[in-house]
Amino acid sequence: MVTVPALSSRVSAAAVEPIVFVSVAVLIALVEYFVSSPIGDFGPSNFWLAFLVLVVWNGWVFPQSQTALGSLTGQYVAMTDGSPASPVTIAIRQLARFGVLYGIPVLVLDFNIVPAAAVWVICGLVIFRTAGNRAPWDFVAGTIVVEGFGSVGMIELPELKTAADLRLDPARNRQDRVAGRAMFLAGLVSVLVSALIVWNIFIEAWAFVSADDFSWGILSGRGWFPRRGEFDVGTLFVGTLWVTGIAMLVAAPIGLGVAFYLSEYAPSRVRRIVKPLIETLASIPSVVLGFFAISFVTPNVLEPVFTEIAFQSILAAGVGVGILTVPIVASISEDAMRAVPRELREASYGLGGRKVTTALRVVFPAALSGISAAMIVAISRAVGETMVVFIAAGLTGIFNTNPLDPGQTITGAMASLGAGTDEVAGVGIAFQSLYFLGALLFVMTLLLNLVSDVIVRRFRQVY
Amino acid sequence: MTAPSPSTRTRTVDLDALRARRGADVPGQLFFGLLVLAVVVAFAMVGSVFWSVVDGASDIVTERFWDFLSSPSSSDPGKAGVAQGIRGSLLIALIVMMTFPIGVAAAIYLEEYAEDTWAARLIQVTVRNLAGVPSIVYGLLGLAVFVQALRGITGGSTVISGGITIAILVLPVVVITSGEAVRAVPGSLREGAYGLGATKWEVIRTQIFPAALPGILTGTVLAVGRALGEAAPLLVIGAVAFYTTGNNDFLEQMQGAFTALPMNIANFAKEPAESWRGHAATASLVLLILVFVVNLGAIVARARISKKLGN
Repeated sequence: MVTVPALSSRVSAAAVEPIVFVSVAVLIALVEYFVSSPIGDFGPSNFWLAFLVLVVWNGWVFPQSQTALGSLTGQYVAMTDGSPASPVTIAIRQLARFGVLYGIPVLVLDFNIVPAAAVWVICGLVIFRTAGNRAPWDFVAGTIVVEGFGSVGMIELPELKTAADLRLDPARNRQDRVAGRAMFLAGLVSVLVSALIVWNIFIEAWAFVSADDFSWGILSGRGWFPRRGEFDVGTLFVGTLWVTGIAMLVAAPIGLGVAFYLSEYAPSRVRRIVKPLIETLASIPSVVLGFFAISFVTPNVLEPVFTEIAFQSILAAGVGVGILTVPIVASISEDAMRAVPRELREASYGLGGRKVTTALRVVFPAALSGISAAMIVAISRAVGETMVVFIAAGLTGIFNTNPLDPGQTITGAMASLGAGTDEVAGVGIAFQSLYFLGALLFVMTLLLNLVSDVIVRRFRQVY
Repeated sequence: MTAPSPSTRTRTVDLDALRARRGADVPGQLFFGLLVLAVVVAFAMVGSVFWSVVDGASDIVTERFWDFLSSPSSSDPGKAGVAQGIRGSLLIALIVMMTFPIGVAAAIYLEEYAEDTWAARLIQVTVRNLAGVPSIVYGLLGLAVFVQALRGITGGSTVISGGITIAILVLPVVVITSGEAVRAVPGSLREGAYGLGATKWEVIRTQIFPAALPGILTGTVLAVGRALGEAAPLLVIGAVAFYTTGNNDFLEQMQGAFTALPMNIANFAKEPAESWRGHAATASLVLLILVFVVNLGAIVARARISKKLGN
């Protein structure tokens, strides 16, 4: 329950805001006039547009809600704890609000996204830091919508009702029913998406298989050349197997090692530093890793060992995908190991087991279901990874079993089909092969994910 | 009856000998060495990714960084920039954020409403499986549905199609992380609110949602980070690497050709000529900074909201 502060403090807070605003506006206008902006077109027109909006906002919405009049409608400037905001806070907020408004014409009229986004991020953070109760909402909504309605920093005082007023209130019950249905519909969106994926992919894949110029023979030639009508799926499978295999050779030992270290050896202080650092790998976009694979891994790591390696190669793509899957293996395996109860370890120590024995002969078997699930999830991710392969694997459809040469994978072939055509919305068997591969990939990853689910459920040890 | 004196039952232990044996734990030390090696290699991976990106980007960053950020695509390495990519990526992120309420609502449905009916189980299973579907498959969905079937609404291969497709791609992530956050809300909050006569919707709106907000926010922001880095579906949908029209007008931008920052990176990286290496690295740097800023925002927001809620 919030207590309404004294009227005088509310009125003075409200009076400060317009004064501060005008002085800030004059200051910005001076800067506008004398300093030309280096980062984009912050033209005077934008300035006056934002100024106008803010004047209207301050002159109309603000007094209604914040002054003595506002107290009648139950709203006032408030900080999180319900106390009135200080003049300094109001001033800073006012400045940030101006910045947010300023960004709108910069974006819409000049289409200058970078400065607009920069202004919004900075001003959003400022509003977020200084505004009252609704600040997180403003932040989520990008501050624009909320700014427009002028509700930053205001809270509604609850209208008190008795239990008799509330009981059997038809409006509340209706609201409750509508909300429940809306959330059920939101849940159905994922079902709809799944159905659409399966329906589209398999319809088009079927169109590929039943096309006039299709025969099962074209699936087993030597090489993948959709434009020439050669659809040797085996070539793609070999490439995918190589990439996945190399990726797991990289990810499994490193991921497991990291998991063992974090779960069994690392003191909690070290763990708090090491774990987030490893997890930053997971937030690196795969395009960046693809570029890293050919610009750094190939010349600096692979070339000294394999002098024959090509500029783009299956091996480089495999290593890139491997780096991508290290955090998956590490974090799922570590969760599984940490779930092993302490008693098992202590029993092992009590019997004279050494740390390495405990880790390998007690913790490892107990966590095996989780660790295998981690491996399968990582394999599924490696099979479906596209951008690393698209950049690093070279994408030639020639049948190739040498990982030092360029090759093609299922996802790589799909990406090439998607990117290579000028007008993607084409027709014909080459285009439909895209869906055929999509269906293959979908089924493969679905099976892998189902298997990992089954493993986790069936072999989970119940402690 | 005389008990044997304790001394006769005690074995003398040579502590030094035991310590010597402990020192000889060769397998243990070997194992520990291997684990440390694995951690070091993982660190080296993180470090070398960032180092190679920063190192590759240094030339362009020092020479023409603003120019690079504000120039459109060009066949001249000295003029090419990623303005269109940044624009496209931010628009996609915007569209993705607009669909978050659906994901959060689905999570609340699964955690708060769903009983053990076939419909609820179906939703649960599909969400879990969608999370494992490779991103390029979502591209096929986007191509068939938004580019072709709904061409009249989306305008074909536009940023709208790309944004909605990526929104669908990150939807399971949002549902799963939000669901975890909702599940972690203590039951006492619910029971207390129900006890005061609140309806289910009021309990959710006034108790569960605010309490779960830090977790939900973290999950959604991670989803935005993921959305910023996705390129595979865009490739299939027909984001183009290179276009010259539709730069100036907002509506034109929404309805015309589009690209995104990861698409820029892929195209720079695939150029065989050495002169484009720096472009790929600089674009990667910009993308990494964007993702980093977004994730940092999540951490700060989470800390702030948690503090306010007092948990």
